[in-house]
Amino acid sequence: MEMKGKISGIVMTAAALLAVTQAYARETRTLGEVVVTARRPMKEIGVQKTTFDSIALKENVALSMADILEFNSSVFVKSYGRATLSTVAFRGTSPSHTQVTWNGMRINNPMLGMTDFSTIPSYFIDRASLLHGTSSVTETGGGLGGLVNLSTVPDVAPGLNMQYIQGVGSFSTFDEFVRVTYGSDRWHLSTRAVYSSSPNDYKYINHDKKVNIYDDDHNIIGQYHPEERNRSGAYKDLHILQEAYYDSGRGDRAGLCAWYTGSDRELPMLTTDYGEERDFDNSQREHTFRGVLSWDHWRSTWKTALKGGYVHTRMAYDYSREISEGNWAAMTRSRSRVNTLFGQASGEYTPSRRWFFTASLSAHQHFVRSEDKNVILQDGDRAIVGYDKGRIELSGSLSAKWQPVDRLGLSVVVRQDMYGTEWAPVIPAFFIDGVLSRRGNVMLRASVSRNHKFPSLNDLYFLPGGNPDLRSEQGFSYDAGVSFETGKAGVYSLSGSATWFDSHIDDWIIWLPTTKGFFSPRNVKSVHAYGVELKASLALQPAKGWLIDLNGAYSWTPSVNEGSKMSAADQSVGRQLPYVPRHSASLTGRLSWRSWGFLYKWCFYSERFTMSSNDLTISGRLPRYFMNNISLEKSLSFRPLDMQLKLAVNNLFNEDYLSVLSRPMPGINFEFFVSFTPRFSQRKNVVKDDIL
Amino acid sequence: MAMLMAAAAMHGCMEWDYGVTEDFSAPSDGLFIVCEGNFQYGNATLSYYDPATREVENEVFYRANGMKLGDVAQSMTMYDGRGWIVVNNSHVVFAIDPATFREVGRIENLTSPRYIHFVSPTKAYVSQLWDNRIFIVDPSTCEITGHITVPDMAMGNGSTEQMVQYGRYVFCNCWSYQNRIIKIDTETDRVVESLTVGIQPVSLVLDGNGKLWTLTDGGYEGSPYGYEAPSLYRIDAATFTVERQFRFRRGDTPRDLQLAGDMLYWLSDDVWRMGVTSSRLAVRPFIESRDTKYYALTVSPRSGEVYVADAIDYQQQGMIYRYDADGGLVDEFYVGVTPGAFCWR
Repeated sequence: MEMKGKISGIVMTAAALLAVTQAYARETRTLGEVVVTARRPMKEIGVQKTTFDSIALKENVALSMADILEFNSSVFVKSYGRATLSTVAFRGTSPSHTQVTWNGMRINNPMLGMTDFSTIPSYFIDRASLLHGTSSVTETGGGLGGLVNLSTVPDVAPGLNMQYIQGVGSFSTFDEFVRVTYGSDRWHLSTRAVYSSSPNDYKYINHDKKVNIYDDDHNIIGQYHPEERNRSGAYKDLHILQEAYYDSGRGDRAGLCAWYTGSDRELPMLTTDYGEERDFDNSQREHTFRGVLSWDHWRSTWKTALKGGYVHTRMAYDYSREISEGNWAAMTRSRSRVNTLFGQASGEYTPSRRWFFTASLSAHQHFVRSEDKNVILQDGDRAIVGYDKGRIELSGSLSAKWQPVDRLGLSVVVRQDMYGTEWAPVIPAFFIDGVLSRRGNVMLRASVSRNHKFPSLNDLYFLPGGNPDLRSEQGFSYDAGVSFETGKAGVYSLSGSATWFDSHIDDWIIWLPTTKGFFSPRNVKSVHAYGVELKASLALQPAKGWLIDLNGAYSWTPSVNEGSKMSAADQSVGRQLPYVPRHSASLTGRLSWRSWGFLYKWCFYSERFTMSSNDLTISGRLPRYFMNNISLEKSLSFRPLDMQLKLAVNNLFNEDYLSVLSRPMPGINFEFFVSFTPRFSQRKNVVKDDIL
Repeated sequence: MAMLMAAAAMHGCMEWDYGVTEDFSAPSDGLFIVCEGNFQYGNATLSYYDPATREVENEVFYRANGMKLGDVAQSMTMYDGRGWIVVNNSHVVFAIDPATFREVGRIENLTSPRYIHFVSPTKAYVSQLWDNRIFIVDPSTCEITGHITVPDMAMGNGSTEQMVQYGRYVFCNCWSYQNRIIKIDTETDRVVESLTVGIQPVSLVLDGNGKLWTLTDGGYEGSPYGYEAPSLYRIDAATFTVERQFRFRRGDTPRDLQLAGDMLYWLSDDVWRMGVTSSRLAVRPFIESRDTKYYALTVSPRSGEVYVADAIDYQQQGMIYRYDADGGLVDEFYVGVTPGAFCWR
């Protein structure tokens, strides 16, 4: 697949350079030049992709993927609080329009259709990328907004290695991480574990409430906004990841990835809640196992891969009240169990340097049992309100990529999905890119596709309210953009891109109240989402031993309801969708000097409306906010071990902000990390996976 | 350092408008509109409408008190010159001065309050969802003084709703996954009797003839508790027996039963009405839906005018339509999100 005319410059990439500085503090860093052959993989012709470097992913052990995406991309991360539900939405769509894969297996919750990124520790992800809009069709269907592609990598350092990190932070927060790896010519083994816990009872001024001051006759003589603690916000999360890979050395590799999550989280009380924390238990427990077996087989012109996977999730939600001392009564006792079987076969064929073909067939078989409520029937017996359903989800795709000349690439993808007994219309997608100028590697990209998303199982079957008559959400989208990349060996590298996107989504599904006291989903809206995405990166080596790395992203995302008025009084048509910011941006800056590192992170979300009519009422909008985090680290090297010390400061300016109405966020807070990496052998290890 | 300086420039300030209060002096013959807001948003609001001037003031609780009303405002009741607003998912009942909208007291730490009924100046009942107890409170001190445990009802599917009083007895419909009306002796604060009706009695009123009227919604399709055609029941309060059952069609969604003189009004997509002496349900609606999502209803005790709330998409300001007694449109005005209850001052 080597492209003729590749731009074989010597470009210093920030990621590679910083990987050196961030690696185990074992050697004095010398900033070598990294040769990057800036050729385009044919697989990615016309694709709009954001890739996260390992430095961003391994910034600190306390971070989830929600934190990584918030500060390293311009997607919208909607967070209900610290260690609470966090969803991700691209390009003005909803969280259920974001597909998420882990080692090739889709991990969206089949009941909800979305993914909680707060439960994905970034230290368990070695490689992460975003496929924006149309580009997600190359991997999966249903990503009306895009795809978050997460994976682990088999590469580990030779021999036995270990790392332990302890984090201690504000609000009695403790984060622990341990990783043990073993690498040989054939075997790559890795075991990782993360345990995080905190009462999470940060203080905040509750502006939604006032505390009354009474006189002796119970008359109110004064009021004030109280300083409260985040109530009912404690969490304990345990993650264990086991990986084993065997490489035959003759073009075959077998792998196993098994990931267990045990999470016990309270659900924080709203700022408008006047209940006593000690009288209510509002908590959620989750046990999830995800496992993927893989086999890859390479030959000079073709590659095949097989994957088999299994996901088991048990979730329990309890909402109880203490009705007398020690006597708790359950108000809601929900239980759900999800079993998913996964299989995938894929192949790639490169008959010549001008052509590249791929084929893929995947299947996800879900079995879901949802128990939402126990009720006493009219005859006195007990029954459970819920559903017990299964669904097969098939997705097959064929693609052909062609480079008629060196500067031009064309790609067509045809995907066919089937959910249950429903066949979706064929999804076609077309991609094109071309090198406009070799100087600066200026490249144009464009793509167009239709897409669709089937309703989730809760959408269809949840009791009460599930709507089996729902139609799939359908979309048509296109994008076009320009990118460049330039640099001077050992001095700087600069890259950037600008992309215009435009999509129309019909039959948008929204859960709305009914006159019977419960919610029910309906196809109600047609949405036009469009805008611009900008990205830029700059890496500088101003002097020997110094490194500066800047990465920025910005999105302008109008997402407008263009459906018909529901009634004459409807004011939502032509308005921005609720909880979709028009503007979002992020910026990270890293400064390294010898064994010191300084990181600054910034993100911005513009005003979000909470009402479909965009009224500027008191609760109708959430003000914009800027978030600033910094960290300082120092690497130390001793004979028996290497150490790293790190201090992270979050919400540097103690911003009083909300991501979601009535969900307070923490003010300035701190966490200190210490990392130990023992030296088990005197052999000079080549570290491929930087940590901390 | 440069980055930090730039950050300082970019951190800005949040544009919160906290704590500012306004002075009101509301006219006395107005109508409160209780807007639920959205569940878990904490965006419930209170509006006040003056029928004489046709002027509406929205978000008056926040504007008068500098704090939010809460999450899912359920109902409002006037008693002894105070307005009592039940805010379901905030576990609170606020008492306000109906002229200034200023808070004058609050009852906290309720389970999931729905309605408040006043027995005396020192005793009121607060019905609950997901609790098998009705809370007894003292309005003069805003303290919880006791509970009435409803027999044969578990906490998880506990549901007590609207309350009306006939003599010393308070009657209450039990709605969610329930099928009965209970009778409470206000002297002993105990449930003394219950009467089985259809599935999920959702509304309850008492007419001038000593007859209780309740609407059942029939449950929902797939419910293990059952699904049936809704009904309107007439119950004699003195004997606590069903006198008459009027059946709707299966799939109808009757709710929000209101009484105005000798006329019953309710919502079921459209606005319906019938006399308390009628022998059958009306065959045509009083006011037809116009792609509206009618969510709440009231009839002016002074003019007989009918006010209907349209929740539209439940995510924007709802619309109130004011009709004269013959169904002619008189006025319309926007209020808060999901207007779900009215209260005449």
